[in-house]
Amino acid sequence: MRRRSGVADPLWYKRAIIYELPVKSFFDANNDGIGDFEGLVQKLDYLEGLGVTCLWLLPFFPSPLRDDGYDIADYCNIHPSYGTLEDFKRFLDAAHERHLQVVIELVLNHTSDAHPWFQRARTAPRESVERGYYVWSDTEDRYREARVIFVDSERSNWTWDPAAGAYYWHRFFRHQPDLNYDNPAVLREVLQVMDFWLELGVDGFRLDAVPYLVEREGTSCENLDDTHKVLKAIRRHIDARWPNRMLLAEANQWPADVRPYFGDGDECHMAFHFPLMPRMFMGLHLEDRHPIVEILEQTPALPDPCQWALFLRNHDELTLEMVTDEERDYMYLAYSADPQARLNLGIRRRLAPLVGNNRRRIELLSSLLFSFPGTPILYYGDEIGMGDNTHLGDRNGVRTPMQWTSDRNARFSRADPARLYSPVIMDPIYGYQAINVEAQERDPSSLLQWMKNLIGLRKLFPAFGLGSMELLHPANRKVLAYVRRHGSDTILCVANLSRSVQAVELELAAFAGLTPVEILGYTDLPVIGERPYFLTLGPYGFYWFELQRRDGHA
Amino acid sequence: MASTGLSSSAATATPEPAGTDILVGLLSCRDAGTIGTVARAVRDGLANHFGTLAARVVLATEGSEGETAGRVREALAGSDDRFEIAPCRAGTALDMPYHGIPGKPHALQALLTRAQALDARACLILDAGVSTLTPHWIRWLAGPIFEHEVDLVSPYYDRHAYEGALTKGIVAPLVRALYGVRLRQPAAAEFACSRRMVDWLLEEDIWDREGAPVGIDLWLTTAAAAGDFRLAEASLGARVSAGRGEEALDLATTLAQVVGSLFVDLDARVEIWQRRRGSVAVPLFGEPHGGGSLEAAAVDPERLIESYRLGYRELRDLWTWILPARTIVDLGRLVNAPAAGFRLDDGLWARVVYDFALGYRLRVLARDHLLRSLVPLYLGWLASFVLQVRGLSGAAVDERLDRLGGAFEAEKSYLIAKWRWPERLRT
Repeated sequence: MRRRSGVADPLWYKRAIIYELPVKSFFDANNDGIGDFEGLVQKLDYLEGLGVTCLWLLPFFPSPLRDDGYDIADYCNIHPSYGTLEDFKRFLDAAHERHLQVVIELVLNHTSDAHPWFQRARTAPRESVERGYYVWSDTEDRYREARVIFVDSERSNWTWDPAAGAYYWHRFFRHQPDLNYDNPAVLREVLQVMDFWLELGVDGFRLDAVPYLVEREGTSCENLDDTHKVLKAIRRHIDARWPNRMLLAEANQWPADVRPYFGDGDECHMAFHFPLMPRMFMGLHLEDRHPIVEILEQTPALPDPCQWALFLRNHDELTLEMVTDEERDYMYLAYSADPQARLNLGIRRRLAPLVGNNRRRIELLSSLLFSFPGTPILYYGDEIGMGDNTHLGDRNGVRTPMQWTSDRNARFSRADPARLYSPVIMDPIYGYQAINVEAQERDPSSLLQWMKNLIGLRKLFPAFGLGSMELLHPANRKVLAYVRRHGSDTILCVANLSRSVQAVELELAAFAGLTPVEILGYTDLPVIGERPYFLTLGPYGFYWFELQRRDGHA
Repeated sequence: MASTGLSSSAATATPEPAGTDILVGLLSCRDAGTIGTVARAVRDGLANHFGTLAARVVLATEGSEGETAGRVREALAGSDDRFEIAPCRAGTALDMPYHGIPGKPHALQALLTRAQALDARACLILDAGVSTLTPHWIRWLAGPIFEHEVDLVSPYYDRHAYEGALTKGIVAPLVRALYGVRLRQPAAAEFACSRRMVDWLLEEDIWDREGAPVGIDLWLTTAAAAGDFRLAEASLGARVSAGRGEEALDLATTLAQVVGSLFVDLDARVEIWQRRRGSVAVPLFGEPHGGGSLEAAAVDPERLIESYRLGYRELRDLWTWILPARTIVDLGRLVNAPAAGFRLDDGLWARVVYDFALGYRLRVLARDHLLRSLVPLYLGWLASFVLQVRGLSGAAVDERLDRLGGAFEAEKSYLIAKWRWPERLRT
């Protein structure tokens, strides 16, 4: 029986609040030390209560797990540590019952070297279709202009394979050979994989590493026209068969370079806005709106059905690829005094430790995330201010078990602590005894309760997900102000990026006659007139105002 | 006799009629004693007031189907009827005391679905257990749909000032404040709606909601109020139900069911009611209101006040989970107030109801306990209300209720602020 997607609204992803989680880290129902789908089902009530509307699951496929599952060995199954395909179906049904959409990872660019396609290709005749599933070369000289992305672990994008007697191409780790999209059979295989999951009812895919699908000599092998042709073909296929499903592109590029991934509304529905994220942290540290405004002003308009995906933190390092060298130096100095926190071109830390566990800074950044034009993505654990462990290898320090209670293993699992896939956070500030869901659910002033309230507010006002944005330019650069509009709704957002009280005069004459109603407390402020509107904001304070016309029944 | 516009067919599997202007849905459960009268009123009402329209009568019945259907056929005999029994799912067994038609949500859904399938311009729903239903009800309920392009006509029955106090004190003012419509008796068993309202209601996520058997009447009204529709009231005179042999429910159970249904619905329509401001009166059609002589219910304010005082002593500690300290202090002052001067301020009462709605949403207590703990406070409000309206004319009582509704509107910002940031529940 064909299972239905969980949603009828074709623009559901624009209204969504996405919650990103690794299944292995969330809850372990069978107590083997690794989170699983049954555990996730048991925690769906928590997620529903939090108010998020969409779950983005990190890779859960069979894999040697040398890149945390982004090295896929079988696209159409579940890693046995996480459960079975039946468990996944039960999870999907349970999520849809709660009106939670589900987006899964699809790693289009490469497979694991353990994937049968690669094993078959290594020994297949040189000109065969099977060999052609991957990109081969007799020398390392091809595609010289393509940069190495994982500079800390790889020196080249080519690796010699003795069985094949040739080099194979990989943009990431050497155990992740790139698929060859010049071979039509590869696209057919990928479409079959997508059909498999869409048939089950998943609501969308996060398409990993899409800029690198196609290689061409003399180019950076990123963002090529032929890559866009592949994506358009995928979109055509999905639109023809699977209404209301969504494609989210991971393209760590400048906004102008990401824009083509939306096409004319005929490629991806969404794409991450990578450069915005470090600039939010930069603006906060500099106490100056300039970095944020600059990148927002560089951000091109999107076709109507398209949307940016916004985030503060995710499962990777805080990437600093899309900043200048000087900005990168500043960010390293400001946010990773401990060199242990640096990885590749980024900082492997969670939200709370990045901002010194300062509640007001977390709230301010969250208020920006939830009011900027785009769909916010919340990384698991950040809603309770979880910490990290920079002494774990790679990016594992931000993928530690979810902290549910102050009991052993943070009640993530009843397994012996030594069996856990990762140690839980145990330091005095962020340890599970101090930071956990149970405590914060009881505490009406906790970050978790605050986050629930903020999510509720975001959902109440469609302008945040669907509306336009106009930046205001007050003289005080410590204050960031902007207007979100959708239909008859107008929301004015004002944020103080500094640690001290700030005053600001806003040019709001265009809204003369309207009453600003502070959204959190539903408090009226004086009616806007022709003169600049004066406001003061506390340290890291922010206001969202609904501009209402008080002329009776609405 | 004028043509009723009805065509004859008593079979349940009738061929699709060529066109239907008005579908009259009869909801029945063990109503053999009254349904004949109701069916005759329908026949005459259609004949007298909608003689040129093509009508269809659909019976949704629970139990004694053959006997009930037979009574309807008999009543409609000789008038070239179209009559059918709607496919209704069996009533869901309830684990709570309940008065009404078992499986009513599904019966209603079936009737509205039938109206949609027939593309009827109007759909009129009637409870077959009402003994005072007259042909005029048909006229005043359905007429505004055809003549004034109204989408929902809600009844406005003649009631004594003390009757229907739960509606007067909580339901109506809350519906007015939240959805901006001044319906005086929301949640009625009888109503009429337009074609587009039928579509809207069938799309609503209410039919299988937990508690639907007791909440569906109210939810239909709030669903209509939440949309962009024209609403009206029809003054119908007194409504007397023959009863279906059940024992009367105690007040605590009734209050928990009614108010609980309202609070459940509140949570589901946040995006609507938090954005709606002000309220409008709805047009009133029908008979002059309050013309009949209504028998006063026996209400003793002294006993109500004593119940309030007892409740305050027994439940004060529990209320601290729900109500802010200021409210409890204000309520405490009333405990010592002399009976003659016992007045519960409208604004205070509105805030109490709003805080209970918040407490219900946040589950600060087991929900049933929370709702039952509202009873003494409600009795206090009722005592205050009775003392204020005793001896007043119907118009003066209406004016007093209008002021109460205004207070609920004025305090709406209190609810919104605390709803959006519930950290401040008890502050």
